[in-house]
Amino acid sequence: MRAAALAVGLVLAVSPPAGAFSARDMLGREVELAAPPARIVSLVPSVTEALYALGAEARLVGVTDFCDYPPAARGKPSVGGMINPNLEAIVALQPDLVIATTEGNREETFAQLKRLGIPTYLVAAHRVRDVTDLIARLGALTGSQHAAGPLLARFERRIAAVAQAVAPLPRPRVLYVLWPEPLIVPGREALVTELIRLAGGESVTAGEADAYPRYSLESAVAKAPEVILLANHGANTGPIDEPKWRRLTSLPAVRAGRLHRVEGNLVHRYGPRVVDGLEQLARAIHPEAFP
Amino acid sequence: MSPQGRLALTVGGLAALLVAVAAAALFLGSAAISPRGVIGAVAGRAAAESVESVVILSIRLPRIAVAALAGGALAVAGVAFQALTRNPLAEPSVLGISGGAAFGVVIGQSLGLGLTVVEAVGLTGFAFAGALLAAAAVYLIAAAGRGVIQIQTLLLAGVIVGIFSASAITVIISLLDFNRLGGVIHWLLGNVAPIPPGALGLFAILLGAGFGLVLRHARELNLLALGEESAQQLGLNADRLKLTIFTGAALLTASVVAFAGPIGFVGLVVPHMLRMLLGPDNRLLVPTSLAGGAIVLLVADTVARSIVAPAELSVGVITSFCGAPFFVYLLRTRYRGLM
Repeated sequence: MRAAALAVGLVLAVSPPAGAFSARDMLGREVELAAPPARIVSLVPSVTEALYALGAEARLVGVTDFCDYPPAARGKPSVGGMINPNLEAIVALQPDLVIATTEGNREETFAQLKRLGIPTYLVAAHRVRDVTDLIARLGALTGSQHAAGPLLARFERRIAAVAQAVAPLPRPRVLYVLWPEPLIVPGREALVTELIRLAGGESVTAGEADAYPRYSLESAVAKAPEVILLANHGANTGPIDEPKWRRLTSLPAVRAGRLHRVEGNLVHRYGPRVVDGLEQLARAIHPEAFP
Repeated sequence: MSPQGRLALTVGGLAALLVAVAAAALFLGSAAISPRGVIGAVAGRAAAESVESVVILSIRLPRIAVAALAGGALAVAGVAFQALTRNPLAEPSVLGISGGAAFGVVIGQSLGLGLTVVEAVGLTGFAFAGALLAAAAVYLIAAAGRGVIQIQTLLLAGVIVGIFSASAITVIISLLDFNRLGGVIHWLLGNVAPIPPGALGLFAILLGAGFGLVLRHARELNLLALGEESAQQLGLNADRLKLTIFTGAALLTASVVAFAGPIGFVGLVVPHMLRMLLGPDNRLLVPTSLAGGAIVLLVADTVARSIVAPAELSVGVITSFCGAPFFVYLLRTRYRGLM
């Protein structure tokens, strides 16, 4: 069923948009373009990754300081951070399209770019199908449909393989810690929540409102998680605070030694590496299924 | 030299300096544009769509305008609060009034208000209400039980209200989604950004009104410095004057907080430097602070946007870095008795 829905979505999204080159972005806004964009500035690390995976990096003329994957992306001119990109630097790159996100960039930036006459294509992803949608859209936008097809087919095959491997197994309660202090967890709208489900677990915070709510340690403990996943940010950096969790010896996860580190960039970003993230989660939640 | 002559000379000199600094800021920025390109864009010779034209006319120029307006307003608000409280260390951020305005703005922002003209009016309203509440609280705390407000008591009251506002802001931030957190924190650091022409016009009108209120009563503020009783004997309605000045200064503070965020210490540093140069006459201090504040914040913002290019620092960080040591210097040299 899921595969069928994905396939239909794929066909719909990959077919080129009607009209000269106006497109509808992921928030449903009409983006008017004179021609297919040849000079793109990406304010979103996920989009940067996807453009490289599609082989469309020649059209990418600017990235943010956070666009660190693939390593070659570091070589592109940076326009600064995601929250405070440098407008002058963006204008100086003469982009015909800026790709930005409602999650991590600021609305003021969109308003400023609009006044400066630079079209902005907004993206956002809360579900795996949004990720495939995003990749298909970027493929169509950059004339890389030929690359998007096989990329998405591989993506889907690997998701199906994980789903098949974990299907017969029990589903442990999983606590995913995005940030330890203050405690931030994935809620209903977070991509990670769906990835945990696909990886054969049940996120104990799946019912929380929003994407990444704050959460109290008490509530987390009360849910008696059987697996705790601690996200790092970047190359094994960022606060993990593993000892704090180890001290909570009443937790089933701690008693069973099921405290795992996961690479956050694979599951928080919604680029093509999400499937690597899914496999990583599945191995952590069900090591017995992936010898 | 007559007071009028000194005023004309100082204001003229500062205005000339402001123009020079603004012109220099127009040539500095991370988009490497040649001096010839800058001049071409300003003269209207560059094509409307060209990089030069967009960067100079739509990014650097409005940003320079916002920085100059905000800096001038903060310095004038500083002079006004100092005269009002007869306390040379009073200043919107030290008194906790910026904090109150910031709390108002964060509430407005969490309701979805942005910087279109209509929304900006709402945002300024929230900031003004917050500033009034904070000021009333500072006054009530500091005046409790006694007629005369001591410098120490007033500063402590400001600190208390500032901490309370910060906590109130933290409550709202804690309830925000992780994805929106960065934006609000960015704003809280105090940033000058190019704002839309309509909002810029509104900003200028609000500041003009606040500045007018303070400037018109500059002479009476001098009388107030003699003490309220003496001022009354000279025929001054001290209560009405204080209310007027207070409204003007709160309006200046609230507008800056709504359009650029809480930016500290400009209202302390600028009036003090000018007082060292010109003496305590408010008729001189009010107009010269407008120009002086504009220059100081413009320089600070130019540093903020070029020192780590292409990334940018928040201008509030720069003013606090320079202002906090200045505050310490003032305490140690001029107000030794307090320490």
